[in-house]
Amino acid sequence: MTTRHRTSFTARKSTFVIGAVIAGLTLAGCSAPGSSTGGDAADQTDIDAVVTAADVAKLGDITLKMWADQAEEPLMKEVVPAFEAEYPNVTVDITYKSFDDLIATVVNAAASASPPDVFQGNIGYAVDGALVEAGLVRSLDDVSDVYGWSTGTGASTLGPAMWSDDASTFGSGTLYGMSPISEVQGIYYNTEKLDELGLDAPTTIDELAEDLPIALAAGEQPIMLGNSDQYAGTHIFSDIAASEQDPASIAEWIGGAEGATFETDGNAEAASIMADWADKGYFGDGYDGLGNQDAISRFADGDGVFFVGGSWNGASLTSEDFGMSSLVSGGVGATASPWHISSKSENSVAAIAWLDMLHSPEVGQQILDTGRLPVITDGVTATDPLQEQTLTVLKDTIAAGTQVGYYDWSTTDMLTTMGGALQEVMAGRITPEEFTATVQATWADTHDTP
Amino acid sequence: MTLGRPAARFSRRATLTGYSWSGLIYIVPALLFFVVFVIYPIIVSVQTSFYDYDGLTLATPVGLDNYINVFTDDDLRAALAHSLVLLVFYAALPVCIGLLLAGAMSRIRIYGLTLFRALLFLPQILSSVVVAVAWRGLLASDGPVNGVLNAVGLGALSTTWLGNFDTALPSIGVIGTWVEYGLCMVLFLAGIVTIDRSLYEAARLDGAGPVREFFSITLPALRPQISIALILTITFALRNFDLIWNTTRGGPGTSTTVPSLFVYQDAFQNRALGQASALAVVLTVVILLVVVIVQLLLRERGEAKIRTPRKERTR
Repeated sequence: MTTRHRTSFTARKSTFVIGAVIAGLTLAGCSAPGSSTGGDAADQTDIDAVVTAADVAKLGDITLKMWADQAEEPLMKEVVPAFEAEYPNVTVDITYKSFDDLIATVVNAAASASPPDVFQGNIGYAVDGALVEAGLVRSLDDVSDVYGWSTGTGASTLGPAMWSDDASTFGSGTLYGMSPISEVQGIYYNTEKLDELGLDAPTTIDELAEDLPIALAAGEQPIMLGNSDQYAGTHIFSDIAASEQDPASIAEWIGGAEGATFETDGNAEAASIMADWADKGYFGDGYDGLGNQDAISRFADGDGVFFVGGSWNGASLTSEDFGMSSLVSGGVGATASPWHISSKSENSVAAIAWLDMLHSPEVGQQILDTGRLPVITDGVTATDPLQEQTLTVLKDTIAAGTQVGYYDWSTTDMLTTMGGALQEVMAGRITPEEFTATVQATWADTHDTP
Repeated sequence: MTLGRPAARFSRRATLTGYSWSGLIYIVPALLFFVVFVIYPIIVSVQTSFYDYDGLTLATPVGLDNYINVFTDDDLRAALAHSLVLLVFYAALPVCIGLLLAGAMSRIRIYGLTLFRALLFLPQILSSVVVAVAWRGLLASDGPVNGVLNAVGLGALSTTWLGNFDTALPSIGVIGTWVEYGLCMVLFLAGIVTIDRSLYEAARLDGAGPVREFFSITLPALRPQISIALILTITFALRNFDLIWNTTRGGPGTSTTVPSLFVYQDAFQNRALGQASALAVVLTVVILLVVVIVQLLLRERGEAKIRTPRKERTR
């Protein structure tokens, strides 16, 4: 009896304590989450001349805190020592994060009380848009003017980092970030198989379309595709769509331009071509069950004649066995994640010096040497044939001005919607018109403000 | 002498009224941890679910809008239907297979029983990412599963299991069954050990076969274990995310979407924290409801059965 009494007494009391704690916490958290005070971009001191080592030295001994994508680490190992040698009072402290981790956390880090001075975001609404809207990143228009970024080979690559004042559209407006690294799409081909089939490397979608049945008839899988991640298919779709209509209109739609629509004849035609190619077996069986990385390894192992992909796939392919040809008609592609300067940074002068160094031909060469593509292509030289071809593809495509960015920049959920709907249209479960309508409905949810 | 009385009073107070407080001190560290990392986040989630919040700028209250969206969104309803299909694979099938294996293992003396038990439990220990990657390989168009089908002349059945609109959901279900049956089996084996062997002897004397033994003795005695197994597997089924994210990402099309996939997308991709919180809250309530129903269904008649072995022991 006594035992039971005591237990219930204790239980009642501890219930009371827990209840009180919960009530207290509830009351404490009652105000609306979030804060109305972001960084204040209006406060920034614009520069009117190139930042010199003497300007940076005035800051005294400082540590420049940075957040970067893990993929940048090999490059950073080259750039950081050079930077610290040129600006001896600065110590660079970089925190590396995997790409997924970076884009999931960098916005909150930038909004925290002690944000990194310099960090990488990601183009599009989910990361860069949130950063610009909350006033967490410094405008770089003055930097671009002083250093002449808007002229020269890298100029066209700045667009995706430019935002309208209310962060509702991007592609033009105020510059908020800069990426020194380019990405370009083209057609990778298996050199030996192309020779056996007696084909030349295709440079347009039409030429590719002519080669596909020949490859199939010879018992080869024409295009290696791994679409279980739902994005590789949209890249091929973008190449076809860009050859069916003006790529500029696609870029506008991606940037969220008012009144833009995805329900165009070109997009419907591109979707029906994708469905037709899938139906004829040009992508082989089971592309929806194959991951993109697995598809690249298979292509590298000699499966498939063509691989429609980007420079980011090139690292897996050897220059003896594979080549790359340009698709100047356009398609997805742009730059890697841009670098931003925190609007709260007290060391923005040093941060500007950092961005300037990233945007130099010397670093451009280091970027190429570490297996990526620089935005500054003047004065860099390739060391193997495939790298040379990829660089040519980049120059051709940038000269043509037909890169449209990436579809998933357009809304935060576009990758899922469009990737999934494209799988359905390729499997013949929905019509091309239903596909374009589904995609446009998702776009309108974000961009058509009532 | 004068010290005697207050000391006595103090000790009496300690046993009568102060006891509960001194007891609380022992759980304060754990309680604090629990409150900060479990209770507080739950409260914040519930609160956030009534706001339109991007995680940065000031949130605006939207009343029940987020909840209305949860119940009116067609995509979410489809996802919930997928979850119900997965319940069969993640909860019903593992419990049945677990019962079958446990029943067999308890009857037949097997050499290296511990080894088999450990091997069959292995899927439960593996990281779900490892499981997902392994099964992606097994179920690929040129994977071993299709290889076996081709070898036995069933090549017509082979397909890209995870990439086919009709087979993707059941395929993910089978992976879940494979992960969960080991847990069920181990739970049931532990339960069978506590059953009084004399019950089996009595049944055998009465002429009961193995099947009758299983249904008359083993199954009723395992009621509490079955209840626990169902609670664990149903929870796993309804909040399942990692397996699907790492195999199909909800595709092809939307054929394998589940509610937790939308929680992730809303919270981390769309920065719609209010919407994500509302969905998470609804999901939690649904899981709690299902668990309560399972417990109620399995408890009542269960208690009568549990009493039998207890009486046995007191005698």
